[in-house]
Amino acid sequence: MKAFVIPGLTRSGHTSRLLLTFGMIALLAGCGYNPVYQTTGAVFAGYSESEATPYVLQMGDADMACDLGRSLDPLVYSFSRVTDRPDTTGSLLQLLAANCSEQQAWEQELRYERAIFNDDVPEAKDARTAAKRWHELTAKRRLEAFNRAMRAYEYDPTDPEAECPFLYADQDELTFLLGLLTGLQAIINDTNSGGAAGVPKDIAPQAERAAQCLDNEKWGGLPNAIRANVWLLLPDTRPMMSPDPWRLLKNSSELGVEAGFRASMALEAVAGETAGRRDVIEDVIRRFDAAESTIQVSEDYRLVDQVGRNVITHVSDKLWTREYGYRTPAAYFGQLSPESSSDTETMDLDDLL
Amino acid sequence: MFRKTTAALLMTMAVAPMAQAKSASMCVFDVIGANGDVYNLMKDYALEMKGHGLDIQLKPYTDEGVALGDFQSGQCDILAATDLRTRRFNRFTGSISAVGAIPTYDNLKTVLATLAQPKAAKFMKEGDYEVLGIAPAGAGYLFVNDRSIDTAGELAGKRMATLDYQKDAIHMVNYVKATVVPSDITNFAGKFNNGSVDTAYAPAFAYEALELYKGVGDDGGIVDYPLAQLTVQMVARDELLNDDEAQQAREVAWAMYPQAMALVKRSEKNIPDDQWINIPDEDIQGYQEMFRENRLELRDGKNGAPSVYDPKMLHLLSKVRCASNPGASECTAGNRE
Repeated sequence: MKAFVIPGLTRSGHTSRLLLTFGMIALLAGCGYNPVYQTTGAVFAGYSESEATPYVLQMGDADMACDLGRSLDPLVYSFSRVTDRPDTTGSLLQLLAANCSEQQAWEQELRYERAIFNDDVPEAKDARTAAKRWHELTAKRRLEAFNRAMRAYEYDPTDPEAECPFLYADQDELTFLLGLLTGLQAIINDTNSGGAAGVPKDIAPQAERAAQCLDNEKWGGLPNAIRANVWLLLPDTRPMMSPDPWRLLKNSSELGVEAGFRASMALEAVAGETAGRRDVIEDVIRRFDAAESTIQVSEDYRLVDQVGRNVITHVSDKLWTREYGYRTPAAYFGQLSPESSSDTETMDLDDLL
Repeated sequence: MFRKTTAALLMTMAVAPMAQAKSASMCVFDVIGANGDVYNLMKDYALEMKGHGLDIQLKPYTDEGVALGDFQSGQCDILAATDLRTRRFNRFTGSISAVGAIPTYDNLKTVLATLAQPKAAKFMKEGDYEVLGIAPAGAGYLFVNDRSIDTAGELAGKRMATLDYQKDAIHMVNYVKATVVPSDITNFAGKFNNGSVDTAYAPAFAYEALELYKGVGDDGGIVDYPLAQLTVQMVARDELLNDDEAQQAREVAWAMYPQAMALVKRSEKNIPDDQWINIPDEDIQGYQEMFRENRLELRDGKNGAPSVYDPKMLHLLSKVRCASNPGASECTAGNRE
């Protein structure tokens, strides 16, 4: 067909325009797709990566961001049928969509806690089943986000000798890093779903290895927080002479506050939950709240801080609901009981009599 | 039949504790009604109290005088209003807002924590009424339409919107030789904003909610010194609750301190930094003594002042101030409050 069209281009006038038109029609009809799609796909992928992603990362509205992931992912990723797979953007969209389903899982977890608090066994069972289903969906979305992120940077996580990927810009580093984080989260969600999503557990050591490709300080301690979480999940993965994972998590949390996004704190709380360390959870919630007055939330990664806050809030809500039957009242965020955390000074009233 | 009987029995057992539950109505003053911060706070108070067996129905009032009237005529069992209005039911708690008596929020916290203790219960009753809780509503600040009004001396001759039922404020305004322009909560903001008065006093909340920024404009500001601590007090007829229940209610209100204080802090933060007028520390010391002398007059009804402050409360507030600032001259003064 090209042979027919191209000579046509060399002619001039009416005949050549006619031939060109027919040639185009023949080209489009002969092939299975419209080249406009291909162009649109390239434009869409390019726009998503250069404009939409930085814009979304600056958003403080995690709820809207999750909806964006849920609704745009099928459209954006469908371009993989006509052009290169938009894996970088696709990874972030799945990650955002997973936050939506995790939010649902969290609500069910709280319903479960309330039911237990009220001794309502059927309600508790129902809530637990619902929570498992949402965790399953979340795990699947996160696994997909992990796979897409690894593919986007041509990194083979299964290869123990894999070299660090070439990460061109900060956004690439963050996309890769968040991919590793979602891999770790996928395992946790899968466990909470009762293994329903079938996430391969070896993602954890893979993420642990790959996290070393990123600058820990630059990324608010997140790479080390991922590693420490993996060490706690799978103690075998912990290298000899490595620092105590709890100390590493605390240090990562501090770096997170300095960097302006408290994702590491969320991971410290998650580790505390995994290990049943209430002292760690209580401490990290308190530190998260205390950082409120000092932190300069990063303008570029506001969403990351907000998602971190959501995790911390949920961890706090679960403990409050378990203890009192309701989630954390706003004025008590930062502590786990309605008792005053500091002993308020009082005056002696005896001499007023 | 057996099942029905059992079910009926279970129902009775389930209902039994509820049968002891009391219900009460509450007239709530909030300058913006049912969507305001105070009303919202009282919704939380009512919910907590429901957990303690008292079912409170709230009724919003945007006119504090009407709320007061309805409470007095028995149309509601509890009144939630500013201490300027509730002072008549309890002079002790009504003197928390004594001029200049609580210079910091830390001091206020100590005062309210002290009053929430069971030991303070006897001071909560006066005549036929009992105070069921106190919540902070923010410090009152002086709003001026000209930043040059930054000393008490500058107030001489200035027109100041003054609540006509607030006798201590009227005395203070006269003391600084300003002109009292009688007002109420619903019209003082308008007077300040349209320039018919030069100054007004209000908590930071009014800056946005009552649009006092209009009156402040480019030339005015807010003097960064708390003139008095405004509180919202819940007052009930004494027979509504027994002593234990009333104490529980006060503890519920005290537990809401962080929530109420967060609102206060947020309102103060909403005022842009450059709108605050800072006054030098040495001037503050002078003002503290000026306020103290006025409080003594308003306690004893001397020098033409009405007697409105309770001596015990003034003594307590003086103890709180001296505990946090023992070096202040008032702590060793012969006529200490």
